[in-house]
Amino acid sequence: MKQYFPLIRGAFLYTLLTGATVLMSFPLFWMISSSLKTIQETNSPGIVWIPAQPTLEAYINIFNNSDFLRSYFNSVFYVTLAMAGTLISIAAVAYAFSRIEWPGRNVVFFLMLSTMMIPAQALIVPQYVFFNKLGWIGTFNPIIIPGYFAGGAAMIFLLRQSMAQIPKELDESAFVDGATHLQVWWEIVLPLVKAPLATIATFLFVGLWNNLLTPLMYLQTIDLYTLPVYVSTLYNINQTVQPWPTIMTAAVLTTAPLIVVFFIAQRYILESVVVSGLKG
Amino acid sequence: MPTNPYLNVLLMALFTVIFIIGCSYGLGSVARWIVRKRGGSPKHQENTFAGYFFSAPWITGFLIFVLVPLAFSLYWSFTDYRVTSSAPPNWKGFENYQTILFNDAGFRASIINTLYLTVIGLPLQMGVALFLAVLLNQKMKGEKIFRMAFYLPVILGFNTAVLLCWRLMLNTGTGIINQIIRSLSTAFSPFNYLNRTLIYVQEIITGFFLGLNTGKYNLLMNILEAGFPADNRVPLWVQSPLWTKMSVIMLMVWGCGAMMLIFLAGLNNIPKELHEAAEVDGATGWQKFWKISFPLLTPYIFYNLVVGLIASLQIFEPIFVLYRDNQPIISSTISMVYYLWQKTFSHFEIGYGSAISWVILVIILIVTVIQFRLQDRWVTYDIY
Repeated sequence: MKQYFPLIRGAFLYTLLTGATVLMSFPLFWMISSSLKTIQETNSPGIVWIPAQPTLEAYINIFNNSDFLRSYFNSVFYVTLAMAGTLISIAAVAYAFSRIEWPGRNVVFFLMLSTMMIPAQALIVPQYVFFNKLGWIGTFNPIIIPGYFAGGAAMIFLLRQSMAQIPKELDESAFVDGATHLQVWWEIVLPLVKAPLATIATFLFVGLWNNLLTPLMYLQTIDLYTLPVYVSTLYNINQTVQPWPTIMTAAVLTTAPLIVVFFIAQRYILESVVVSGLKG
Repeated sequence: MPTNPYLNVLLMALFTVIFIIGCSYGLGSVARWIVRKRGGSPKHQENTFAGYFFSAPWITGFLIFVLVPLAFSLYWSFTDYRVTSSAPPNWKGFENYQTILFNDAGFRASIINTLYLTVIGLPLQMGVALFLAVLLNQKMKGEKIFRMAFYLPVILGFNTAVLLCWRLMLNTGTGIINQIIRSLSTAFSPFNYLNRTLIYVQEIITGFFLGLNTGKYNLLMNILEAGFPADNRVPLWVQSPLWTKMSVIMLMVWGCGAMMLIFLAGLNNIPKELHEAAEVDGATGWQKFWKISFPLLTPYIFYNLVVGLIASLQIFEPIFVLYRDNQPIISSTISMVYYLWQKTFSHFEIGYGSAISWVILVIILIVTVIQFRLQDRWVTYDIY
């Protein structure tokens, strides 16, 4: 009997893990399944696990919906532009904190670490007034431009830690050959921190793609809406029947890039959550 | 400025880049000049220039987007400033703070809701996270796939689209969750009793918290008077003020993957010899968990607790997506940040909103400081 114990234990474990996986992924399954249903099926009192006759009607509708397509473009546009500026400025600042000896470095570094304790939301009210004075309400500026100033102390910290591990001799020999800091940064240091840069880029992408609060505050007109803001308008309590298949189709198309990015970058993500999560 | 919004922001981005490079040169040159005046070596001068040149984006951003706004909002929090009126703000002293702390039903509700999420939601969330971490820690084939599946909800987490899917699933009448509960209840009578007991307990606890909120306990009395829930009762997820917070807790539990990874790291850090020694002494798996793993996990539990508490102050998207249009029940679930948003941007009362921001800021600072202080007291750090 005893020799069967590991087998039983293994079967038990796998059952539990599979059960948990089914539960955790159920919303995704339900999202896809509902996007293929008719409105009657989504509102029916009986359970329709998988529609008997899947219909692509909702997909056809959504691809003819110019508001949805525009908000999709807006999201891609804003995320790309914000990511480019944020990544480059973060890389520059992390270089200053790890590879150069300069007076005041420790003070500035400490200051930067202490901003991690300030919740972003504590700043939304004064920033709103500031952007209002600049005439930036109703433009993309407030959700893109602040990132260009190396927004994100945690990400700077993560990158600094990796840059600090590169041996000093590498840049010293380059300096002897007459290289400038700009060259060393771009040609020697950055290629060596590709993995942490990829991690940061992934987190940045996820954060920007999911962002609802600031686009909601600043974009104002439907022409500028990003996906989260536009998709939230599809559900409206004043409608007698919610167009669930259409909403779920929009949801599938909104989450698809997140899932793709997650599968490509999962190795970096799962490792760095532990590294960066525990330093605090 | 061009009227095309895309061109507009592209030009602004270009202008920002030029501005930042200008600031970098300026800051670097000033720093180099100071070092030169003090007689620093050429190498030292060059490093000073480079250091300030490369860190200037953060320094200017900190001044423009953090320090100056914080200073202004501190000033405004003592005034009645409104962005819509051109009149200069009037000084009100501590009046805003007094109103928030003692006379503001909405703020009070947000504190009580956070308390509920901390007392009821976080233990559930951490329990599930720890359970999954212990399962994954058994080191078997396919562990990576399960780990990915458990972490994916964190990535999707608070995306509006995913939240709308939850809205569909949580529908009281036709939602899949209640459908499943209903059919299980009809099929097995033990499940039926379990379901009704859970509903009863949940409603009594929430009724108590809602009573704390309004100061009137009539809702709680109604529940107690009505007695044990009827045979066909199901949870009223997004419909009743008694259930709104529970729906948010469901979402929290679903997104427990980040906590799970922290626990997993904690479990990995426990020296194998400890478990081996306990095995020699004849300890069961259960004993090994409670006597060895659990005490050594306390730093991680504490860390997750603090992070979770701060996160529950800031919950915004679920409340916006699930309850935005449902005015009568929204106060039963608002978080502090949602309240800040609602209050500031419905009437554009910048002065009052600034005061709320500062209260949130101070609360988060206090929680963080307490974390650092208490950590050493009841958390086991032996062996590390």
